[in-house]
Amino acid sequence: MLLGYKSNSPVQSLMKRLEQLGYVLRSANGRIAFTGKITGEIKLLGAVSAGFPSPAEEEMVDLLNLTDFLVRRREATYILKVDGDSMIGALIGPGDLLIVERGRTPKSGDIVVAAVDGDWTVKYFEKIGRNIRLIAANKKYPPIVPRQSLEIGGIVRAVIRKYGA
Amino acid sequence: MNTAQPVMLESFPQAILHFDGDAFFTSVEQSLHPQYRNKPVVTGAERGIIACASYEAKRLGIKRGVALHDARRMCPGLIVLPSDYETYSMMSKRLYEIVRRWTPVVEEWSVDEGFADLTGMRRLHRCSYEQMGRDIQCTIAAELGLTVSIGISLSKGLAKLCSKFRKPNGFTAVRGRHIHLLLQLHKLKDVWGFGSNTVAFLEKQGLRTAYDFIMRSEQWVASRMSKTQVEIWHELRGRSVYPVTTEEKTDYATVSKCKSFTGPNADVNFIWAKLVRNLESAFIKLRRHRLKAKLLTVGLRLNDFRQTGVEGRLNRATSAPAEALPLLRTLFERIYEPGAAYRATMVCLGKISTDATDQLDLFEDRLRIEKMEASARVVDRVAEVFGKHKLSQGSSLFLDQHAITPRDTLPWRKLNLLPGETERQRVGIPMLGGRCSRGR
Repeated sequence: MLLGYKSNSPVQSLMKRLEQLGYVLRSANGRIAFTGKITGEIKLLGAVSAGFPSPAEEEMVDLLNLTDFLVRRREATYILKVDGDSMIGALIGPGDLLIVERGRTPKSGDIVVAAVDGDWTVKYFEKIGRNIRLIAANKKYPPIVPRQSLEIGGIVRAVIRKYGA
Repeated sequence: MNTAQPVMLESFPQAILHFDGDAFFTSVEQSLHPQYRNKPVVTGAERGIIACASYEAKRLGIKRGVALHDARRMCPGLIVLPSDYETYSMMSKRLYEIVRRWTPVVEEWSVDEGFADLTGMRRLHRCSYEQMGRDIQCTIAAELGLTVSIGISLSKGLAKLCSKFRKPNGFTAVRGRHIHLLLQLHKLKDVWGFGSNTVAFLEKQGLRTAYDFIMRSEQWVASRMSKTQVEIWHELRGRSVYPVTTEEKTDYATVSKCKSFTGPNADVNFIWAKLVRNLESAFIKLRRHRLKAKLLTVGLRLNDFRQTGVEGRLNRATSAPAEALPLLRTLFERIYEPGAAYRATMVCLGKISTDATDQLDLFEDRLRIEKMEASARVVDRVAEVFGKHKLSQGSSLFLDQHAITPRDTLPWRKLNLLPGETERQRVGIPMLGGRCSRGR
C-alpha cells in the first residue's frame, strides 16, 4: 500500500533484497525487524552509574525571555527615558527606562506618561469622580490639573535601570 | 434623481479592506514626540528634499518632493527632521500586526499601506465588516497614536478608491449595491492602475468617470484595451481578480536604487562611487530574493534637476555586481558630463529571473564568474555579521571623502542611544521622546 503496489509479490522481492543487504532481519515466524543499518546503532561506551536524567532539560520549555517578561502587549509598548526627579518618591529617577503601554485607560494609582505642553511627563494618575490630577512623587512639584483635555501617552508597566554600561 | 444603474444587488459577497497611513513618517514623529503635534513638520533633512509632509505642512502648500530650501522659504517655522527609517519600520510592522488580529490574510503593500481580506470573519468577531474596519482604525489610533484611512469594498481596486475618498483618518465602506455611486464620484485618473495614456484614450471615447468605464461591455474593453485593463474593469465591478497575497513580494519586475547626495557634487570619483554603491545595494536586494538580472539602467540627476539615463544589456543574467561593473562604467561614461555638478545617481536592474536556472555559455570565462559569485556570497555573509556595505567595492573609499554626516542629519534616536546600544544595534522598541525639561 505504502509503495503503491497492487499485489504482494513485488514487496516480497523488495524485502528479500533488503534482507540480503542486511537492512532487515526476518524471524522464523515471518516477522520483520530493522537492523542497526537503518535505525542507527548504539555504541556502548562502558558502564556509567545509573540515575534519573537531569530535570533541567524538561523545565526549560516554559521559560520567558526578558522582553516577554517585561512586555505584555508588544504592539502597544514603548520606551521612555526619564528626565528629572519628580517621581523619585516612587523610586523612579533620572536615566531610568520606562516600559510604557499605550492604548489602555488608566486607573487611579497607576503611574502614567502624559503629554503636557508638548512634552511627556511621568506622574501618578488620580481620578476622583470626574476630576483628574497628575501627582508627582516629590513634594517640590505641585499636582497638575489638566485644564481642557489630557492625553495619556501610556501606563508605566516596568522600570529598567542598567548599571555600569 | 440619480439614474445610474447598480452593478449588483448584494452587499458584501467578499470584503477587502485597504488601509493607508496618513502622512506616515511625520505622523510617527508626531506620535512619539509631542512637541511636534499640530505643527508643520517634514522629514527628509538628510536628503535636502522632503520625503513626507505633515497635514499642517501640506496646508501651507508644502508637499513631498519639494526642495528643502524652497519649503523653508514658504514656511519659516517649518520643523525639518532627518528620516528615522528604523523607527518607521518598527511602527509599520506594528500596523500590520494589529490588522492581523482581525484576519490572517494581510498583504504588506508598502511601508504604510496594505490590504486585508476580511471575508468570512463576521462570525468570529460577531460584527459587521464596517465595524471591523472601525475597530482596526481605533486600535491603531490608541496603540500607535497614528491615523489611517480605511476603505472597505469588494475588491482591492474598489477598496483603494474608498480609502482615498476621505483622508486623513477617513473611513469609507461601499457595499456591492452602492458601487455605482462610488464610481460616479471618481474621475478616470483616480482609478488604481490607470496611467495618463489610458485616461487620455478613454476620454477620447467620451468617457469621464469610473462609472462610465464599467458601463461599457467587457467586450468593448477587451477589444480596445489590454488584459490588465480588463482585470481592472472586473475589479471595479466588484469581482475580485487580484487576491490579497500574504507572501513577501518577490516577483519584482525591476529593482532600482536611487540615492540623492547630501548636497550637489562635481567630483567624478564620488559620483562614480555613489553609482557603484547603488549597484551593490540593488544586487544585495536581488540576492536576498534569489534573483538575477540581465538589464542594467543608469540614471544621473544634475544639479538643475535635469535627468539623463541609458540602458545596457549584460552578457548573461547575474547576481554579482562585479560582473556588471564593466558595463556600468561604459554606461556611466556615455552620459556623464565632466565638470557638471550632480545630485543623485540611480541604478535599475531589469529582465529579472530566478537564480535557479543557470545557463552556461560556451565562451564565457567560467572560473572568473565563479570567483565573482563567491565574492558576492562573502559580501552577504560579512553583511550579516557586521552590517551592510562593510565589505564593498574599492571605489567606496571615495565616498568617505565627502561623508559629512552632520548631527542635524542623524535621526533623534541615533543621537539618543541607551546604555549598551551601538551605532549598529538598538533596542527593538520605539522610544518616546520629548524636549528635555527638568523636573517633569
